[in-house]
Amino acid sequence: MSAAPGARGEGVGARLPRKEDDRFMRGRGQYVADIRMAGMQDVAFVRSPLAHARIRGIRIPDDIRAQVFVADDLEGVAPIRAVSGLPGFKVSEQPVLAFGKVRQVGELVAMCVAATRAEAEDIAARVELDLDELPALYDMRLAREPGAALVHEHWGDNVFLETFVDVGIEKAFDAPIKVSRSISTSRQCMAPLEGRGVVAHLDRRLDQLTVHTACQMPHIVRSGLSECLGIEEGRIRVAAPDVGGGFGYKGILLPEEVCLGWLALRCGHPVRWIEDRREHLTAGANCREHHYEITVYADRDGAIRGVDCEAIVDSGAYSAYPFSACLEAAQVASILPGPYDFPAYRCRTWSVATNKAPILPYRGVARTGVCFALELALDAVAVEAGLTPEQVRLRNLVRPEQMPFDNITKKHFDSGDYPQALTRAVKAIDVDAVRARQKAGEPDGRRIGFGLSIYCEQAAHGTSVYSGWGIPMVPGHEQAGARVTPDGGLELRIGAHSHGQGLETTLAQVANEILGLPVAKIRVVHGDTAMTPYSTGAWGSRMMVMTGGAVAAAATELVGRLTAIGAHLLQADPADVRFEAGAVVGPNGDATVAEIARVWYRRPQDLPADAHGGGLEVTAGYKPVRDSGTFSYAAHAVVVAVDAEIGGVEILDYVIVEDGGVLVNPLVVDGQILGGLAQGVGTALLEEMPFDASGQPLASTFADYLLPGAAEVPSPRIDHMETPSPYTRFGVKGIGEGGAIAPPAALANAINDALRPLGVEMLVSPVTPRRIVEAVLSARESVSEARGAQRSAA
Amino acid sequence: MNAPVRLRRAGATPVALTVNGRAVAAEVEPRTHLADFMREDLNLTGTHLGCEHGVCGACTVLVDGEPARSCLTFAATCEGADVVTIEGFDDDALMAELRAAFNREHALQCGFCTPGMLVTARDLALRLAEPDERRIRVALAGNLCRCTGYLGIVRAIQQVIADRRARGIEPVSGEVRALGPVGARCATAAPREPAAPIEPIAAPSTSAVAVSDFAPAHTFEQSFVVAFPPERVFALFGDVRAVAECLPGAFVDAMPSPDRAEGGIRVALGPIAVAFRGAATIARDEAERSGRILGAGADGRSGAQGEIRYRVVDGPDGGSEVRLTVGYALKGPIAQFGRPGLVRDIAGRLVADFARNLEARLAGRAPDAGPGSPGLNPLRLATGLLFGRIASWLARLRARR
Amino acid sequence: MKAARFDLVRPRDLSEALAALGATAGLVKVLAGGQSLGPMLNLRLVEPDLLVDIAGIPELRRIDREADALVFGACVTHADFEDGRAPDVGRDMLARVASGIAYRAVRNRGTIGGSLAHADPAADWVSTLSALGAEVEIASRSGRRRLTIGAFITGALATALQPGELLVAVRIPLVSAAARFGYVKHARKIGEFAHAIGAALVDPERGTARAVAGAIDAPPLVIEDALALFDRSSGLDREEAGRRLAAGGVEDAVDRHIHLEALGRALAQAFDATPPALRSAA
Repeated sequence: MSAAPGARGEGVGARLPRKEDDRFMRGRGQYVADIRMAGMQDVAFVRSPLAHARIRGIRIPDDIRAQVFVADDLEGVAPIRAVSGLPGFKVSEQPVLAFGKVRQVGELVAMCVAATRAEAEDIAARVELDLDELPALYDMRLAREPGAALVHEHWGDNVFLETFVDVGIEKAFDAPIKVSRSISTSRQCMAPLEGRGVVAHLDRRLDQLTVHTACQMPHIVRSGLSECLGIEEGRIRVAAPDVGGGFGYKGILLPEEVCLGWLALRCGHPVRWIEDRREHLTAGANCREHHYEITVYADRDGAIRGVDCEAIVDSGAYSAYPFSACLEAAQVASILPGPYDFPAYRCRTWSVATNKAPILPYRGVARTGVCFALELALDAVAVEAGLTPEQVRLRNLVRPEQMPFDNITKKHFDSGDYPQALTRAVKAIDVDAVRARQKAGEPDGRRIGFGLSIYCEQAAHGTSVYSGWGIPMVPGHEQAGARVTPDGGLELRIGAHSHGQGLETTLAQVANEILGLPVAKIRVVHGDTAMTPYSTGAWGSRMMVMTGGAVAAAATELVGRLTAIGAHLLQADPADVRFEAGAVVGPNGDATVAEIARVWYRRPQDLPADAHGGGLEVTAGYKPVRDSGTFSYAAHAVVVAVDAEIGGVEILDYVIVEDGGVLVNPLVVDGQILGGLAQGVGTALLEEMPFDASGQPLASTFADYLLPGAAEVPSPRIDHMETPSPYTRFGVKGIGEGGAIAPPAALANAINDALRPLGVEMLVSPVTPRRIVEAVLSARESVSEARGAQRSAA
Repeated sequence: MNAPVRLRRAGATPVALTVNGRAVAAEVEPRTHLADFMREDLNLTGTHLGCEHGVCGACTVLVDGEPARSCLTFAATCEGADVVTIEGFDDDALMAELRAAFNREHALQCGFCTPGMLVTARDLALRLAEPDERRIRVALAGNLCRCTGYLGIVRAIQQVIADRRARGIEPVSGEVRALGPVGARCATAAPREPAAPIEPIAAPSTSAVAVSDFAPAHTFEQSFVVAFPPERVFALFGDVRAVAECLPGAFVDAMPSPDRAEGGIRVALGPIAVAFRGAATIARDEAERSGRILGAGADGRSGAQGEIRYRVVDGPDGGSEVRLTVGYALKGPIAQFGRPGLVRDIAGRLVADFARNLEARLAGRAPDAGPGSPGLNPLRLATGLLFGRIASWLARLRARR
Repeated sequence: MKAARFDLVRPRDLSEALAALGATAGLVKVLAGGQSLGPMLNLRLVEPDLLVDIAGIPELRRIDREADALVFGACVTHADFEDGRAPDVGRDMLARVASGIAYRAVRNRGTIGGSLAHADPAADWVSTLSALGAEVEIASRSGRRRLTIGAFITGALATALQPGELLVAVRIPLVSAAARFGYVKHARKIGEFAHAIGAALVDPERGTARAVAGAIDAPPLVIEDALALFDRSSGLDREEAGRRLAAGGVEDAVDRHIHLEALGRALAQAFDATPPALRSAA
């Protein structure tokens, strides 16, 4: 592959519009709710209205008894168990229908089936729950106090897992600067526009339970269904249709999936459940709720001497399958140091059980939280040291000449120039002009603020990282199938699933890069256990590195097969031919892929005697040279105007300098960054799922849970660096999550920069108008108190 | 154990309308919204449901040529309407321009918001005079996209508008359109007689409901003055049935003991009618002229606990001042509705009515019927969830604090 | 979620509508554009026995001009104001407010009468029409009556409508050419229900200087003597306005501060004053 990426116009590096768009723009996508089957009935669930209660009884009127199923009916169904092999992990069993106790609002208690969803809801409304309310654990910090009620009684406390790491923190204690902060990120809902949904039926011919489900990881769901339903994996087919966004929310096994699977086997007719928005917001898995007590030790020149942190993650009531309740907190400990090089570190984490929905890895997972905590603390260091935010960061970032670099938690940074990214961002936003404007003041009285943040993102990490976690899923080789069709087209089969990332286009580009076939003739079959090789699925920004690598491997293997046949057809020595642009080129002519395919499928009599029996169909596996992950990174710089009196925040300018290694499709990469940014703006300014003291979630509609709209999201300027990863095919790095990591920190830093003259520092996301006004008023109050004290002293 | 088969939907009403240029006549349940009608009955699944409460915009379709929420439009009210869904734009020239621009600008990822987004985008391309970024962004507020960050969408719309205006295509104004909601036409047939009301289902027994202490999520204080001496006022507070009669919407079914009442209260939060049925315990301190009524109840899906602490003290001119502390906690959908301030306003008005009625009763007049919830069928609402045995943990929890 | 079962009648005219409203036992709700009631039905927060669909009734989709007022049928939509199909009482006062209500697709069906009858304190029309001194016309089988907005809205989500009654029209007084209207809606994002509304009408020719603090979880606070509270150079008398807000139930200091800001800014618009510079450092 001597040709430069993108040289042929459709290969790696081409800014190619997506193939999959057309069906979506004509209303011809097929999402799970669009599947129609004869005799299909709808399911609605009776869900717990209480956060924590003992179930004393469930009353079902006789006339609907046949349409209602409770835990006792689900004979032979096992609870969902997502264990972790980390020492000290406590196991939670998540019943698919509540048994004995309910541990979160929205927990499934009974399943109701009827001809339509409306009728199923009518039935659900007539089921009575007799509940004995227990004290609800609505605050993870209170849940750790002695004497707190217990989510899982036999544990003795509410801690799923505690971790501890100490790398010589005592060496930092004599640092001249010590900055401590309490920093929190609020609980969020991931809110893909399409919720979850399941259509299940029994394929009687194959004796196979077929589960169509809006998910990111069909093969993992199949394993989970097999474990819970107690039937062999071969009797289950899981297929993901078009999926309307995932972001992590569709990366778990749902109790609803198990219920519907059981019901389809039981009833014999197809059954459907489509999550509605209320279910999503009040009952579905949540994310992001972290609390940090962080101390940064530094020298006067801004050099970090050490970071000391205690972090709590609210894991909710159950350990979600397959990632477990601890991925998030354990990740906090390992990635808190971010892109910085410093000598001492201590971190203790707790994954705490509460009476809330389980926590799930949302785009960015713990990286968004640790970036928020560390980057806010570094701005505080800058203030203390009398330095600019950029000076403090540049003093500590890992330098390009250190690459590859093993950081203090043994993360192996593959490549990159972090200081350059930061410098370019600062330059692009023209920080001097911003400071001048800030100094001059705004005619309308608003305050200008400048904020920075920078992160690095481990992506596509594999076996060596995950085997230590001991969770139900450890990624190994990623596989792809590739088949040349008899007319010379190409079919790619991948076990992961595209839920908006554009894999139907980008994987075709990878195959095009190697085989030279036009992207229009390359089809991607994905997300169906019956048709694709095994995959752990779409998560961890791993698709382009892993699946792209597997597609490249499969295409490369096909090149060998095509070349052998082609050389024979050209009556040339295989050593004298080469594969180029969709054809085998010999000294006296060429044979196109279509011609070779015709021979293999239709005219086998023309094949060489020693033709490879595998023909033009291969399944190939791929693992990067090192599977410790790629490290993409980005610097975000933002300018805001803050209305301190009413709490409004306007984003005036936003710059992103991103290095995602070699880009397969810059258009799609920008789309991922822009989408991540919008979600980051949501985390920073809008999105929050509050709970009251009885564990009631208080935002049950999109009128209360605020997603950013077009008017709330900026038009950023994106600048790309492309430092190849030394370990991956084409040098690509995972970039799917990065856009959502840095914005909360950058925006909060900018708001704090604007409000610093008022003595205000915002340390909780989202930074809402109310929180701003509250802080401004309380700062004013303390100033006037201090003045009063001065006066009385005088 | 299989579900019964029901091939006809109860209460269906006929409706005739045009969908994507095709005449459609159907029978629909009044509660079926236009999106479900198109998706489930007509198999036009391009219209998506992202929230079903009118915020996300995924279900936006054209109704009489204008964008409207198909989740907030009931199919049975669309007699004579002209509906166009995303599937109806295959041959629409403007939509073809938008599709090309959306593709070029990567204005979609998962595609779920796209049908509604395109319908809105088309409306903007028709109406906006200029490709002003801010106006487009504001006008897109009703169409949420979780994937793209909107930039591609905004740019695509800007390009189409700029291109059309450059080609001399003028923006349209809505000045000629008829007044009133799009899609709504006057009925031509005499209204049907409404079907018989749905039979109430017997109320569950409340005998199992125990009431104990709790920590109110919200409390407020209120006091009022009545022109009657404290001992008379305090005596009235000892008559639970009389107190209930003064509290609009409250009713007492039974008093199994002097310190326990079973009954409920019907409250209207605007259109939301809630009937909490349960039990209350009553405590009184004669010496202090104070007391406490502590209740717990539930309606179909929501639950509530509440307490009224009262104290009657000497008021001006030989009258009394009644000091109330009202506390409550809500559970279930009503709690998750997200507007606690509204509940507080309603509770405050309830207490004001209570004071007025109390005074009327002391004066020997009949209490007002009060606003309560006219026409509410309490039995209908009394089914469902039993929040029995609001256990004594709350007392323990409180003691710990 | 899907709505619970209800019955539907579609009267042909006002008298049939009033007959339907008056005749039926059980919970009867009026359905106009359905943009407020629809979500509550879909969420099963409201489970009526009967809906009376009035959206197509011609008498409710018309506008009458009187000497000193415009009378808008209850089913005139927000988009009708936004697009100018419905005339304005002054310089784009109604159009400006209407175009900020929710989203275009909602405005194409949502009605002024429906919004008022829903009486959500955070709704734009509730505050705006209070500031403009509007009245509502209410009809029932036994006759008609008129109420001021203040008398009509009795609480959060509560109105003076009795069973069998229907809000049929909104009467908004015309203002003089010199009148100025200030409107500030504080929300966290575009299209969201307001967290604070300030509205003010200053019409020197008619001696009106009225201000409204809305979205206070209760009926809006109407200040008839806005001249006493606002000075073009010094701005809002925050102490006095704060006292009135506190008396009106806005007890939380942060909420009160935000409401005062909205109120002060709306008054500055209406008095054509340079917005009082945001306060500098404490």
